[in-house]
Amino acid sequence: MIVAEWKPIAELVQMLRGHKKVLLAGCATCVAECASGGEREVETLAPLLRMAMQVDGNPIQIRTKTLERQCEWEFVEELAEIVPEVDAIISIACGIGIQALAERFPDLPVYPGVNTTSLAIREEPGLWAVRCAACGDCVLGDTYGLCPIARCAKSLMNGPCGGTRSDGKCEVDEDVDCVWNLIVERARARGKMQELTEFRKAKDWSNSGHGGPKRILREELRP
Amino acid sequence: MVRNVDAVDFEPEIVVLYCQQCVAEDADVAAAAKAVSGFRPRFEVMPCSSKVEASHVLKLIEQGADGVAVVGCPEKRCRFLVGSTMAEKRIEYARGLLDEIRMGAERLGMDRASQLSAARLVEIAEHRAAAARALGPNPMKGATGP
Repeated sequence: MIVAEWKPIAELVQMLRGHKKVLLAGCATCVAECASGGEREVETLAPLLRMAMQVDGNPIQIRTKTLERQCEWEFVEELAEIVPEVDAIISIACGIGIQALAERFPDLPVYPGVNTTSLAIREEPGLWAVRCAACGDCVLGDTYGLCPIARCAKSLMNGPCGGTRSDGKCEVDEDVDCVWNLIVERARARGKMQELTEFRKAKDWSNSGHGGPKRILREELRP
Repeated sequence: MVRNVDAVDFEPEIVVLYCQQCVAEDADVAAAAKAVSGFRPRFEVMPCSSKVEASHVLKLIEQGADGVAVVGCPEKRCRFLVGSTMAEKRIEYARGLLDEIRMGAERLGMDRASQLSAARLVEIAEHRAAAARALGPNPMKGATGP
C-alpha cells in the first residue's frame, strides 16, 4: 500500500489560516489501511483541526468526506457538490489523491494534510515496513522475493555491505533486518546458494524515475 | 492551554465513559451524579472501554466538554483480554494530540479499576474536573458547529 503520515498539526494550522470553510477529504484505500487518511482519521483530524484553529484565534468550519479512492476521477466527482461551499480543501490521501483534487478543482487551494512516504506492508498491527521502491525494473525473481532496492539502506545489488551486524540487522537501524542477510538465508534454505554467485545483467534504471516524469501509455485500453 | 478564570464560577463539564464491567452491580451512578456539586458530570456506560476511539474523545471536547475521563478494567481483568490496554494506548495518543494543539492533555485521562462504587466513579470525575479547572473553560464552548 501507499503509506502516508500526518503532517504536524502546527503546519496544518499555518496552511489553514485565513480560510473559513474547509473540506477535509480522506481516501478509503491505501491511506486507510495505513491508518493515516481513512474515514477514521478524517473524523479524528477534523475535531482536532477545529480546536487547533480555535486556539489559534482563527475559528474554522470543516466538512468531511472520505472517498472510496481519491486517485480515480469517478470517485473524485463525488466532491463536486461540496466544493462550491468551501474555500479550501485539505486532503489526507496520498500525493496522487491530493493532486487529483487539485487538478479537478483548480480554483481552490488544495493542501496536503500528510506526507506520502513509502510503499509498504503492515508487518504487524501498528507497524509498517517499506517493501517497494517502484524502481521500474523488478529484480524480485533474482532475490527470492526480497527487494534489495527498497529494503537495503544502500540499495546494494551485490550482497550485504560490511556494516551488517552479527545478528543479521542493518548497520543503519538495529531493528531492521539486513535484506541481503535474508536473501542469503532464503537462497540457502532453497539450496540455491550457487545462483547468488552468478553474473547478472546490470539493472536497467531507464524505467525508473530518472528519465523525467513517467507516463504509461497502453493503446488497447484507450477509447 | 491554561486560562485565567475565576475558579469559583467555573463548573467544569466532565464526561465519564466507563466500562460496564468495572462498576459494582449495586452502584447507583445516576443517583450519585445528581448529588454532585462544583462540576457537572455526565456518565456514559460502555460494553468495554476498548469501544473508545481517539475521534470520540476529541469530538466530546470539541463539542464543549471541559474534560473527559475514561474508565476501564485493570490489566488481566478485561473480559476482552486487551480491551482496556488498547483503550489506554488510544487515550495516551489522544492526550498527545491535545497537547500538540495546546488544549491541554489533562483534559483527558484514563483510570483502571474494578468493583467501583458510584462514589468512587464520582471521585474519578472530580479528579478530572480539578485538572480541567486548572486549564480553564474549554475554548470551544460557544464555538460554531462543524
